[in-house]
Amino acid sequence: MENRLAIEILGVAFPNPFCLSSSPVSNDYEMCAKAYKAGFGGIVFKTIGPKDYLIDEVSPRFDATSKEGTPFLGFKNMEQIAEHPYEENLDALRRLKKDFPDKVLIASIMGNDDESWAYIARDVEEAGADMVELNFSCPQMTSHAMGSDVGTSPELCRHYCEIVRANTKLPIIAKMTPNLAEMNTVARACLEGGADAISAINTVKSITHVDLDKLVPLPIIDGKSSVSGYSGAAVRPIGLRFVSDLARDERLKGAPIGGIGGIETWRDAAEYILLGASFLQLTTAVMEYGYRVVEDLIDGLNRYMVRHGCEHLEEMVGLANKNVIPAEELNRDYRYLPEIDEEKCLKCLRCVVSCYDGAHQAISYDEKTRKPTIDENKCVGCHLCELVCPAGAIRGGKVVYKAGRKVAKPLL
Amino acid sequence: MVPMRYLEEMARGLDARAALREASRCLLCLDAPCSKGCPAGTDPGKFIRSLRFLNEEGAAYVIRINNALGALCARLCPTESLCQKGCLRAGLDKPVDIGGIQRYLTDLEAENGWEFLSPGEDTGKKVAIVGSGPAGLEAAAVLRSYGHGVVIYEKEEQAGGVLRYGIPAYRLPEEVLEREIKRILDLGVELRTKAEVGRDVDSDALKKEYDAVLYCIGYTKGKVVEPFKGKENVVSALDLLRKIKKDPASFKAPENVLIVGGGDVAMDVIGSLKRLGSRRLVCVAYEELGEFRASQKEFGDALKEADSIIAGYVPESYDGKETVFRHRFLESRLSIKADLTVLAVGQTYEAEGLPLVFEKGTVKGTFHTSGDPKVFFAGDIAPEKGKLVVHAVKSGKEAAMIIDRRIGGHKNGK
Repeated sequence: MENRLAIEILGVAFPNPFCLSSSPVSNDYEMCAKAYKAGFGGIVFKTIGPKDYLIDEVSPRFDATSKEGTPFLGFKNMEQIAEHPYEENLDALRRLKKDFPDKVLIASIMGNDDESWAYIARDVEEAGADMVELNFSCPQMTSHAMGSDVGTSPELCRHYCEIVRANTKLPIIAKMTPNLAEMNTVARACLEGGADAISAINTVKSITHVDLDKLVPLPIIDGKSSVSGYSGAAVRPIGLRFVSDLARDERLKGAPIGGIGGIETWRDAAEYILLGASFLQLTTAVMEYGYRVVEDLIDGLNRYMVRHGCEHLEEMVGLANKNVIPAEELNRDYRYLPEIDEEKCLKCLRCVVSCYDGAHQAISYDEKTRKPTIDENKCVGCHLCELVCPAGAIRGGKVVYKAGRKVAKPLL
Repeated sequence: MVPMRYLEEMARGLDARAALREASRCLLCLDAPCSKGCPAGTDPGKFIRSLRFLNEEGAAYVIRINNALGALCARLCPTESLCQKGCLRAGLDKPVDIGGIQRYLTDLEAENGWEFLSPGEDTGKKVAIVGSGPAGLEAAAVLRSYGHGVVIYEKEEQAGGVLRYGIPAYRLPEEVLEREIKRILDLGVELRTKAEVGRDVDSDALKKEYDAVLYCIGYTKGKVVEPFKGKENVVSALDLLRKIKKDPASFKAPENVLIVGGGDVAMDVIGSLKRLGSRRLVCVAYEELGEFRASQKEFGDALKEADSIIAGYVPESYDGKETVFRHRFLESRLSIKADLTVLAVGQTYEAEGLPLVFEKGTVKGTFHTSGDPKVFFAGDIAPEKGKLVVHAVKSGKEAAMIIDRRIGGHKNGK
């Protein structure tokens, strides 16, 4: 099948939109080379910090949440930025660019003062990076002059963007923290400071679990723990929201957006793209399943595009955003009533439980046959029953217009 | 040396992750059908939901408070025809492994030393229970929870009845049985072994000493039918299994064995003999394949152990070595020579010297009460349908409740 996934962003040609994010999965030359070979279109090399900034990691450093046997519903990470020596990281960048000239190499950087932001930017450009990503968002740095404490301040972000802008000709991506009520103010400040693109989201500050016997959150490090970043499938809805918020903001002047947060499948990828991302980054799925996840991301997305007659990835970007509107503008003239498919219904009556306890007491059942029936007068059409039905036996049925409201066939 | 294959539990239990995954398969039905499928009244809908919401201790409580032999039923029940029969998950793929989850939770209970049962406040009343099989043990637990004094009379050397002397070790490991029995004895039940009522102990004396006497003597005698009556090299399955369980180390498994019967007991004979060294096992059943009475689990296991299982044949003649069968419907004869022929064709009671009147294999009477106001009965000998361990549990529980009402004085029961 032909590859429809190539996309050009800020003059840089991506063979496909899938990149490793700056994280434990892009830690050195060997890991990145393996990812390229597996099919990733680009990698964001693990954040390179100041020469003299010592990275000293804890053990253990991860935790995961799960639900009903599904591991890695969410993932907590306490690792900081690259721990290899500065020169070794630059050397890895050089070798990666030399060995994989057709792949995209993005250097993630993080300074702790004007001087360090400047020289790191210069050094990574010299080493051969195609783009530079400014890490304003790591939530587990041991210095408050670094990471997400910087990312919450529009002034600091604008300032460091200006410094980097003055020291490199490379396209600049500013990586956002989601630990904000809204992201657009900081993103605008970054563009004003000279950034060309925005990537979102970095991890969400979290505590995943508390050991109920030791009374210490996980992971336990010498009897203590810390707040740190949460990622994986659980944060995807948060990532999608921020990406759409950014893409719909005209003041961001159409700056390219890198979508990050819980991408595991091509469907997740397609959702980010349709909400405005033109390139994507992932880590948690790789930590759980390996670089090979890229195979089905590429193949699945490509097949989706073929099925929908979409020739170029570019055409997909942001297509769903016109359908994201303020709540006050939504059509509230009708009720869309669910219907129960008797053939599929297992008679477990989960719909009855949820409708009674969580909605509007609109489903009753026959005690002998266990057959559930929806009372059309009581049903508000919330579709909670459809969401809880384990058999997929409940779907939308007919539309009922509210009294005195406009009668016009809605798009369902 | 007894082979480990005989002593070790055959079926592997679910670990914590597998149990939670299995619980997550539960649809959490309203008014769950599984909860109506247990003769003993266990509520899987409730304990699976508790596990699903990570309340393991609460889940184990739900099982134990209802059934003092919950860890045994988890292993022995033919769940496919009881709780799992109604499981609506089957409409999607296959029923939830309710027995597996119950076993996990009762094992967890033992591992953590959770104690859910406690005796009721002393009522001053005393009940004698004759027989320490599943019906007697459950009755003892319930009566103690009401605060009545309980003394169990057991004719064998150890408590347990069929659980001890019938069910093979690989299906029910001794330590599991010991745990269940100890938990009940720890409620303050006195156990008198080698005390056969009707022989060592006078049944009238019991009536005088106690406020009630509950007979749970079980079906302890394997039937020997024609053409095998009085012939050599024939043994009833119950006698054989009892002999093995009493002293597996000195049991010498015959080389070639013919097993007659198609129920769980026949399957137990197959599994036991194969593990203990018999070479050829041929099983011939009266039932046709579709009518086999053995549980799915037991029949499936036996298929792996037996060399031949032949359905639909009736024994016609036996000469001490060779049995000739004829097919039930077609013109067909089958003759099999074996070193030993084991009959697993049904069981009955042994009730000499007991104040019980039998009619068609069960005691005459209703609701566990005989004509004598002090004499009660439960378990296999009760006329109610069902001879599984779980039916005995149900029967013992019901008898205890009736006795409690009859003798009065219970302040603590529910």
